[in-house]
Amino acid sequence: MINQDDKLDLLRTLLLTDDRQLTESISKKISLLEETIREREKLSAKVSPIIKEELETFALNIPDQLGPVITQTLKKQIEESKDQVVEALYPILGKMIKKYISNEIKLLSENVDNATKDVFSGRAIKRKLKALFSGVKENEIILSNLAKAEVEQIFVIEKGSGILLGSYQTKETVDEDMISGMLTAIKAFVEDAFKETQHDLQSIEYDLYEIHLHSFHKYYIASAVSGTFTERLENELEDFNLEISQEISKRNIIYDRTKLENLLLDKFKSYKFTEE
Amino acid sequence: MSSKKIVIVGSFGVGKTSLIRRFVDDTFSEDYKVTIGVHILKKTVQLQDHDINLIIWDTEGTDEIEEIRTSYLLGTHGFIYVSDVTRPKTYEKIDEHKQYLSKNFGNVPIFTVGNKSDLLPKGSISQKKEELDFLDILVSAKEGNNVQRLFEKIAKILIS
Repeated sequence: MINQDDKLDLLRTLLLTDDRQLTESISKKISLLEETIREREKLSAKVSPIIKEELETFALNIPDQLGPVITQTLKKQIEESKDQVVEALYPILGKMIKKYISNEIKLLSENVDNATKDVFSGRAIKRKLKALFSGVKENEIILSNLAKAEVEQIFVIEKGSGILLGSYQTKETVDEDMISGMLTAIKAFVEDAFKETQHDLQSIEYDLYEIHLHSFHKYYIASAVSGTFTERLENELEDFNLEISQEISKRNIIYDRTKLENLLLDKFKSYKFTEE
Repeated sequence: MSSKKIVIVGSFGVGKTSLIRRFVDDTFSEDYKVTIGVHILKKTVQLQDHDINLIIWDTEGTDEIEEIRTSYLLGTHGFIYVSDVTRPKTYEKIDEHKQYLSKNFGNVPIFTVGNKSDLLPKGSISQKKEELDFLDILVSAKEGNNVQRLFEKIAKILIS
C-alpha cells in the first residue's frame, strides 16, 4: 500500500521531470560560463578573436571615420599657431633646401668646369666664345659662375696655442681670436681622437662653408670658403698658402701681426683664384 | 696688441667656469652646468702702458690632471689651477699637478687659486689664509672678490 507521501513523490516525478532536466542543463551552462570567465586564458581565447575583428574593422574605417576630424584639428591648430609652425619648420626645410640646391649646383658646376678648364676665360664675349668652342651651353657656364666659390677669410694660427697670428677677411665676422681658438680646439680634438692615423685635419664643412686647413711647421692657415669648393680651387688655395708661407719665412714676420696682415692683404689682392 | 693663452684647470665643481664668467662678463649663476670639452673666451686687460688679449681656455673638471686632453694644453702661456677652499680634496694634489704641468708644458707661470672664499666663516679668513698659504690668491667668483686682481696680476707677469 502506498502512503500519502510516496504518492506525492511519484506525482512530482511524473509532473516535473522535464523541468528538472532543464534546470540541470542551465546549471551546467552557468558553471561552464563561470569557469570561462574566471580563467583568463579561456576568456581570452573566446574574446580575443572578437576584439581583433573589431579592431581590424576600426583600423579600416579610420580614414573615413577619423580622417576628417584629424584634418580639421590639424588645420585649426596650424591656423591658430602659424608662427610657431613656420618657426619650427623653416630652419629644417630651409637648410635642407639650401644644402640640396648647393650640392646640385656644385655637381653641375664641377661638370661644366671640367669641360671648360682649358678654354681661355673672360666675361660676356669670352664666355660666348667659350661656349662656342667648348660645346658647353652658355647658360650652363652662367650657372657655374653663379655658384662660384669665394675665399672669405684667411687666418694664420699658431699651432698648439691657437693664438691668431694674422688674418684677412672680406666680411665682418665674430671675434677672430675666438674663431682661431675654437678651430684649434676642434682640430686638436679630432687629431687626438684619431691619432693612430697620424694625419692632420684638413677641412671642416659647416653649413655652406668649407674651412680648408693647411698645416705648416709652427702654424696652420685656415681659409673659409663659401660656395662650391672644387678640387681645382683647393689646389689653387694650397698654392696660395705655400706662397704666403714662403714669404713669411723670407721676411721672418710670423710674430709681427701688422706685417703679416699686410702680406695677406697684398697677396689676396694680387692672387686671382680662377673660381672667383 | 699681444695675445696670451691661459688655461684654467682644476677638479669638478671648483668654479672654473664661474671664475671666468665673473671676469669676462661680470656675471654669476648658481646653476651648475658641467663643462664638456673646452670653452674659449677672450678678454682684453688694460694695463698702464700695455693692453693684452687673454684667450682663456676653460677645460672640463677632473681630479687627475693627466686626463685633460694634452692638445688643449699645448702652447699655453700661463695656467690657473683652481681649487675650492671648502674641499681639501681639490687642493691635496696641487704640488704633484704643478710638477706635471711644468714638466710637460714648459716653464710657464702657474697660478694657484682658492675659489669660494665667500663660504668661509666670517672672521676665519685670515686663519684660513695661513692654512692655505700654498695658494697664490683666494677669490670668490660669486661675490667677485679678487677676480679682477687675479687676472691683472697674470697679465702683468705675462707681459714682463
